Amino acid sequence: MTIAQSLLVVLFAPLVSAALICFFLRGRGVLASYLSVGTAAVIVFFSWWAWSGAGGESVAVSRTWLELGQFHIDLGFLFDGVAATMLLMVAFVGFLIHVFSLGYMKADKARARFFGGLSIFMFSMLGIVLADNLIMIFIFWELVGFSSYMLIGHYMETEAAKEASKKAFIVNRVGDVGFLIGIVYAYWQFGTTHLSEMSAIAGLHPEMLNWLIPACLMCGFIGKSAQFPLHVWLPDAMAGPTPVSALIHAATMVAAGVYFLIRIAFLFTPDVLTFIAWLGTSVAVYAGFCAYAQNDIKRILAYSTLSQLGYMAAAFGLGYPGIALFHLITHAFFKALLFLGAGSVIHGCHHEQDIFKMGGLFRRMPITSITFLVGLLALCGVYGLSGFYSKDGILIAGSLANPSVFYLLFGGAFLTAGYMGRLFWVAFLGAPKSEAAEHAKESPLVMTVPLLVLAVLSVVGGMTWLWPETLGELIRADLDHLHHMEGYKAAHKNVLLFGSAAWVVGLFVSFFFYGVGAREDRLEKVSSPVYNFLKKRLWFDEIYNFYVANIQQRVADLLSLLDVFLLKGLIIRGGAGLVGLFGLGAKQLHVGSIHSYVFWFLGGLIAFWLIATGLFF
Amino acid sequence: MTVGINAFLLVAGWLFAIGLLGVLLRKNTLVIYMSLELMLNAVNLALVAFSRYNNTMDGNLFVFFIITVAAAEVAVGLSIVVALYRRRQTVLVNELNSLSH
Repeated sequence: MTIAQSLLVVLFAPLVSAALICFFLRGRGVLASYLSVGTAAVIVFFSWWAWSGAGGESVAVSRTWLELGQFHIDLGFLFDGVAATMLLMVAFVGFLIHVFSLGYMKADKARARFFGGLSIFMFSMLGIVLADNLIMIFIFWELVGFSSYMLIGHYMETEAAKEASKKAFIVNRVGDVGFLIGIVYAYWQFGTTHLSEMSAIAGLHPEMLNWLIPACLMCGFIGKSAQFPLHVWLPDAMAGPTPVSALIHAATMVAAGVYFLIRIAFLFTPDVLTFIAWLGTSVAVYAGFCAYAQNDIKRILAYSTLSQLGYMAAAFGLGYPGIALFHLITHAFFKALLFLGAGSVIHGCHHEQDIFKMGGLFRRMPITSITFLVGLLALCGVYGLSGFYSKDGILIAGSLANPSVFYLLFGGAFLTAGYMGRLFWVAFLGAPKSEAAEHAKESPLVMTVPLLVLAVLSVVGGMTWLWPETLGELIRADLDHLHHMEGYKAAHKNVLLFGSAAWVVGLFVSFFFYGVGAREDRLEKVSSPVYNFLKKRLWFDEIYNFYVANIQQRVADLLSLLDVFLLKGLIIRGGAGLVGLFGLGAKQLHVGSIHSYVFWFLGGLIAFWLIATGLFF
Repeated sequence: MTVGINAFLLVAGWLFAIGLLGVLLRKNTLVIYMSLELMLNAVNLALVAFSRYNNTMDGNLFVFFIITVAAAEVAVGLSIVVALYRRRQTVLVNELNSLSH
């Protein structure tokens, strides 16, 4: 089996699974769930096969799909080191989350639809990972948007899920407009949308690069990775089932934005990179603050995801796409772990999501709690865990390239430790604060085993020296580059000190401020203006709602007026009236007497004769 | 004595005119039908005359075709007239006006 063939299996197995579930298994939840999980296992196996077969070599295949004169749209794979790393991560984390879902969704009535959705998501996501040109990436980009919409709206009987799924879809479309313009512009500039061809052209003619193409393409990233100002959809997307939040809104889809940036890194000009660095930094800090005013365990994690995506964007903006990829991978491990842990907690507490109604879970759910703690420490960047290495890389890059970015990101790390500490002290320790938490039980093995595996990965995932030789070349190259920069030693010491101080101080401050197993938010009591300010999240949702209700609605009304008068009134009704009038006249000729018809015929003949001889016209 | 082509064309023209006026003025379907045939034959006559005076066979060839087609047409047309009479008990065109608006 060639590598291209195994990649085809990887890409199309989930599509087949989704189609089978959609057409035949909608009523059979158990069978559908096993089919979907089996497909995920097939993906893992063939991904591994393709990666080991490629042995670090880059594999590219491409076929023309559509030909319109000179212009043709190709579909193909570009399976290089970055794609292999991402593919293995998506396949493996996806598989674990599929397994976890078996337990989590056991009592759900629409289980078949859920697992069908997971399969179609895997298809779309793997398409983005493997795609070799911008148009193909865009196609799968939209498919991912669709599957996200479908899975967020899984609990469609609740108003929140309906609203959230629409919001996620529409906000993403806003970013995709820029993406599409960027593709057209890139094609116009380079005459191709193939990543490898564009990179070759950009390498030969650096003067062809300009800031507009990456700025347009970046809009897609801003929408998908929920960066400022299109971040509003991600916290609301937590209305979906928790495994979906883990798979799509933490580990893979939102990270696809960053992955896309890494794929097109050669297009970026320094000013756009600086912009991304500042964008990521501001999101990292902003989301950190927002998390303090959230009581829903999943929404806290959602803001944490936003903040970590900001870190990745910052690393990319500082000129280290490899380190961004590194943080993407480690983040996928520990954030999937945290979300699945939260899912296990929610499952144990009978769908209670308010952390102030939990408490005392450490004793009742030991495996979940310990693995959650591991994920938490990895997220905070505790020395030796996976999050430490990637965050360390970002902070060192920051301190060497742009000190103000470094200080802000350091502040972000402190905030991270603070809100994660708040979550842990309040929800897991102390006495249970509700009936549901009182009766919480440890989840079954099918849910705890993925947690344990992810916990192991969260611990060792950052140790790049343990990684196989052919994986993560770009990551190692960027880390090496950092190591050989001037002032690395001092920066490293500095970052180690600052970073460790950040999590130690953050955890301790939250411990002493909120206390173990608190019943209510102390910040709200002590300083409610601050709390309410954070709860408002800089009024983004309010501003957007105002804009939609008062400005966009007016424009829509105006357009609808034009539609009624111009299109419907003048063109459609007017056109029909004109034809009708003609018909009324023509009807008068239809008298029913053969003799008159002969006269019409004669008249017609004479008219033809006149035209033919040129006497007429 | 030879007869000039103008004489043939004159006769053909008269025959055509009689046929046309018959179609335009008569009410009986059968008579209209006969007038149609008359027009065809007027054309036949003209074609044969042209053929003779130009010493080619083109016109004669056309005439054979026209006669064949006319024969077929008569077979169809007369059966329609008979069917019409059976249904409506009339063949007068001013009474066959149910298709008017």
